[in-house]
Order: sequence, then C-alpha cells, then structure tokens
Amino acid sequence: MAPRPSAPAPRLEHHSLERYEAIWFGIATLMAVLLFVAAIASFISGTYTAIEGTGGGHHITGVESGRLDPRNLAATPFAEPGLRENPDGTLEAFVVARAFAFQPATLRVPAGRPVTIHLTSADVMHGYQVTGTNINATAIPGQVTSFTTTFRRPGTLSLVCNEYCGTGHHNMVNTIVVEAPGTQNQTE
Amino acid sequence: MGDVAYLASLKKVTQFYIVTAFLALFIGVLIGPLQALNYGGINVYEWPVIRNLLGSYYQGLSLHGVLNALVFTQFFISGWMLYLPVRDLGMRINLRFAWFTYALMTLGLLLAAVPLLTNGATLLYTFYPPMQGDALFYIGAALMVGSSLLVVGQVVHTWLRWKRANPGKVTPLVAFMSVATWMMWALAALGIVVEVVALLIPWSLGLVGGVDPLVSKTLFWWTGHAIVYFWVLPAYISWYAFLPRQAGGRLASEPLTRLVFVMFLLSSVPVGLHHQYADPNIPNLWKNIHMFLTFLIAVPSLLTAFSVGAALEDAARARGGRGLFGWVAQLPWGNAVFSAQVLAMVSFIAGGAGGVVNASSSFSGVVHNTTWIPGHFHITVGTATTLTFMGVSLWLIPHLTGKRLPSLRLASWSVWTWFFGMMVFALGMHWQGLYGVPRRSQVSAAAVDAFGNLPLALPTLLTAVSGVILLVSAVLYFSVLFRMLLSPRVDDGEQAAPLPYSEAISPAGESLATASPLVRATEPLLALWAAALVLVVLMYGPVMARLFAEMQLVPGWRLY
Repeated sequence: MAPRPSAPAPRLEHHSLERYEAIWFGIATLMAVLLFVAAIASFISGTYTAIEGTGGGHHITGVESGRLDPRNLAATPFAEPGLRENPDGTLEAFVVARAFAFQPATLRVPAGRPVTIHLTSADVMHGYQVTGTNINATAIPGQVTSFTTTFRRPGTLSLVCNEYCGTGHHNMVNTIVVEAPGTQNQTE
Repeated sequence: MGDVAYLASLKKVTQFYIVTAFLALFIGVLIGPLQALNYGGINVYEWPVIRNLLGSYYQGLSLHGVLNALVFTQFFISGWMLYLPVRDLGMRINLRFAWFTYALMTLGLLLAAVPLLTNGATLLYTFYPPMQGDALFYIGAALMVGSSLLVVGQVVHTWLRWKRANPGKVTPLVAFMSVATWMMWALAALGIVVEVVALLIPWSLGLVGGVDPLVSKTLFWWTGHAIVYFWVLPAYISWYAFLPRQAGGRLASEPLTRLVFVMFLLSSVPVGLHHQYADPNIPNLWKNIHMFLTFLIAVPSLLTAFSVGAALEDAARARGGRGLFGWVAQLPWGNAVFSAQVLAMVSFIAGGAGGVVNASSSFSGVVHNTTWIPGHFHITVGTATTLTFMGVSLWLIPHLTGKRLPSLRLASWSVWTWFFGMMVFALGMHWQGLYGVPRRSQVSAAAVDAFGNLPLALPTLLTAVSGVILLVSAVLYFSVLFRMLLSPRVDDGEQAAPLPYSEAISPAGESLATASPLVRATEPLLALWAAALVLVVLMYGPVMARLFAEMQLVPGWRLY
C-alpha cells in the first residue's frame, strides 16, 4: 500500500460523476452516428466494391434469383469461364472457384473499364481476394456473387482464396492480368 | 441438505465448470504457437512429433479454435454466471439439475472431440457447409451449446423466484448483469441451434440431400457475432463489480451499469450481417442496417471504459494517487488479479477500435478474411476475455476450494507476458493482414509465394516471436494453476477469499419505489428480453425469410 498524503485528494462524488457520464454518453453516441454517416457516404460514392444484393446475375442463363445448381454449371455461362464483351460494350467475367484453383487461372482484363465479375463455386466455399485492392468476395456453391469493379493500373495481381476450402487451400492462388487499353485479347 | 453441504456442492459444480474450461484452454493454447509460427513463415507441422499428433495444419487450427473460443469460454461462463447470481440472490437452486447440465455439456464436448481428434471434423470453428464433418461433431456441438440454454433456464428461473419472494426490491447488481447476459445469450444461441439441429445434423446423417451454405452461414453469424458479447460481458461483470474492490476503490454507478447491460441485451444480436459484406444475395440495405446497429453497440462499451476508468481513478486517489494521470502509478500493478484485468481492458481498447473498423462496410474489403481478423480477436476474446478469466481464476479457485495461489510472482509474470505476447502477435497479424495475407491458411507451406515481393519481413518476425512469448506465458500460467489445483485445501474459501463485492459511488438502492427512473426502467428484464426478441425478428426476419424461400441445396464435400 502506497503511503497516504497528509491531506487526501478529493475523491469522485455522485453528482459530478453523473454529469461527466451524461456528457460521455452523448459523445459516444455522436461518434457512433458519425461513423455510420461516413461508411454510408463511402457506400454511396462507391469507394469500395459492394457485392450486389438481390438481383445479381438475373439475366444469366440458368441463374434464378442469384442461384444456380452447382452440379449443372454446364447449363450456364460458367461452363466457359473468362471475360466476354457484350453487344452493348459492357464487360462481364465468369469465374468458377473449385478446389484448389480458380477458372480461368489467369483472368485478363483491360485497365480503366468497368468489369462485372460473376463468381460461383463448384464445390465448397472459397474466397476471392485480389491483393493490393479492396476486392473481397465469397464464392458459394449454388449462389452467384456479382460485383462491378474497375482495375485502373496495368499489371499482374494475385488472386488468393481466403476462405478455408480443404488441404490445398493455401495453394489456391491464381492471377489477374490487367492490360493497358488496346492490348488485350478480350475473348480470352 | 444443510447450508454448509449445499454451499460446498454449489462450489463443487462451479469448480468443475471452471477446471474443465481451463483444461480445454490448456490444450487449445499449446496448439496456438504452431499457428503463430506458420504466420512467421515456419512450418512446424512437418516436424515428426507434430505430424504424429496432428493430421494437418487445418486440424490443429480446428482444435485451437474450437477449444479456446467455444469450449473454454462456454464452460467458464456457465460456471461463473451460474455461481455469481445464485450467491448474489442468496437463493437455493436444484443442484441435481445443475450437475445434470454440467454432465450433458461435458458429454457434448466429448462426443464432438472424437471427430475433432480423428480428423473427422476439420472444419475450423466456423464449420461452414458444404464442407462436411462426421455427424457426431454436429451432435456433440448441439448438446454442448444446448446445455448452456439449461443454465439460462436455471438462472432466469432462480431470479424470477427471487422477484416473487422480494416484491418491490431492486435486483442486486451482479445478479442483474448475469441474468441480462444469459437472456441475451438465449436469443443469440437460437441461430446456431437452428443451424445445427434443423439443417446440419439431418444433412450429415444423410436424411436430406443437401444444404444451403448461405442460409447456414447467416444463421451461424446470428450467433457468431453476438457470441463475442457473451464472451466479453462476463468479463465486464468482474470489471464492474469486483475489480474496483480489488484495486481499493468503488464502482462508479450502479444505474449506469444496469443501462449498459440492457443496451447489450437489446442490440447484441441483430448485427451479424456485418460479417457477410462479401456474401451475395443479401440486400445491401440490410447489411447497412446491421452496420448501424453494430456501431451503436460500441456505445455501451465506451460507457464501460468511462465507468471502469472512473473506478480505477477513485481507487488510485484513495491510495494517495495525484495528478491528471499520475494516479495510474498508484494502482496495484504487481497484483496479478488486478493487472490481468486491467491489461485485458487496455487490450480491449485497441481491440474494440479494430472491431469498429471490421464492422465498417468500407474497410471490410481490405481486412475481411485476412490475418487482420485473428489479430483482432486475439486482443478481444484472446486477451480481454481470456486474460480476465485467467486473473479471476487466481482468486476464484481459492474462493471455491480453500486452496492457495502458490506463487503470486509467477502468476504476475504469466499475466504480463500474455499481454505483451498478444500485443506483439496482434501487431504482426494486423500488419500482415493489411497486405492481404489470408487468415487460416498454411502460408508457410504454400507452393506459390503470392506475397514474396511485399515488405513483410518485420511483421512475419513479430508473429513468430509472439508465438514463443505466448508459449512461455502459457507454461507459467498453467504451472501456477495446476500446482494450485493439486495443492491441499488449507483455508475456508469464504474467509480467505470472499466474493470481492465493491461499494458503489452511485448505488441503485434497494427499494424500487425510491429508486431513480433509470433503475426502475431497467428492472423489468423479462419485458426487455421480449423487446430484444422483437428487434431480432424485425432485423433478421425479412433477410431470413427470403433466404429460406430461395434455398438452393448443394451436396456436401470432405476435402481435408
């Protein structure tokens, strides 16, 4: 026990404590609300790639309400994974995750153009994370995960599975090659 | 049964829960350094001695996660939050029922342990389908988690009997906090119970052809996020009710403490979708609503930081502390019971702030499923909860058994090294996570080095070193614990280590009629429980209804 001073310092008392509590309660609540406003502003302005909620992949053959049968990927565009350009000029990529590789093993995309990526799994859950970006999506068998993103700079990025998928999980690493505009072979 | 025999038996069942918890932690923690070394770039799973014990990195990780996060916490909390409210209310309970619950929970644990140990449930502690394990794993897990609901029933029933016997009285604080936490857990556990009992057990037995992984995952996180409050609130009980006394001061405010627990009761559960920003087919509107509720849940934790800080300052000033911050030096840092809990809180300041980052949809893409996340939860559940429980055990076991702590000095070393080791671990793991290194991946054995060109040398080294520090800490702590448990009974626990109730600066009072509006508003816990249920149904109902309506069953796989 420390030695007590001759004149003890005043201790906290009930009323001042209640006042400080109320002030701190107000500050804490305000901080929570401001955080929410900031995150919503980020959502609306698109600083991160939000996964489409309901309605993702509705137009895709063999996909209903964002669902498909993983035993019958042949009936869907996922039978031929890769990038394609639609008649209206939009870019869509179909990606299949399966133990322990992504298909296509190398996805080539042009820099500076929005690409909608549709992702599904043929077996168990996988993760789809592109290092050096904030692209982070789950591949779920029976479900289609869709999001739209733009790769700005040409280069080679690692595509890493970040959801446990079995003994070979740590070897499930593929690549995305972002090509300078005009140099890519868009039909892969 | 006489009073003495009754109390001895109540203490015995509590002791069984606590010791079972620490036995699970002992095994779980010994596997931990293997994981830390993996993220330090050292693959010790190739060593013959470890190869013979553990089938794979993923089996070791499954055991580590299940034993530490699920078994240790649930057993400790079941004992702790059965004993405390019963003692606080001065009620007698049916001890046969209490022993039956303990036996059932242990049976569940033993059943689930068989496939875990034989590589039949290498699913990690999230056990996401369609990765499939032996039916025995799901049955054991259901029994174990389900048994905790029997503790809920017994504690709530005991409290209701006390209310009937004491009309117009304010529930004493420790009992209030325990009952509110159990009520929250009853709502939280619904998700995992439905997932395992209704979906996974029939599927693993082959009674249904498939499983919808998204429905299962959503039910899992219904429980999976609220469970973190189930881990931390029992630590809060100690921080609020006992720590001020152990520091030599007073609890700040009983009414405010009650408000904090009611806020947790109301909003702990409808927040789970913030774990699923990366998942498809869940409307972003609902993800954002859950994000908002998650941020709100930071408020009661910020209030706790205030209250506990005030209590510590009060203690320090009573001990002669002076100055704006100089009083901190007067706190009893050499007392392991005290320092364990305060270091746990310091860790939780960083952990809580990181949690807010994780819950933000805007940051989630950067950190989701990277090593940032285990970095985060080792300074929350792994330190805020675990180190608090370690500190509590140092007085609780003498209280329950009449045995003595063999070495305060070694206990103190174990506590400080745990804190320091976890800080180093968290720094290394958060750092690696920012570069996108995936969590729970055997990166030390990867054929392709996706991160070789990144500046990861320092965080990798920190992570490896932390594993060694934590191993030393665990050896110190468990040697103290086991020596204590194996020593003879020398004291009467009631005299030598009484329950360390704290005096309050602002008490709630004893009579509801004269109590403040805040105390009266927080007293009807049953009604607040019902309100919490309504809130969960509103916030999860539309999402779950749609997921169930559009179920897409897929076959199971064993890829381990």
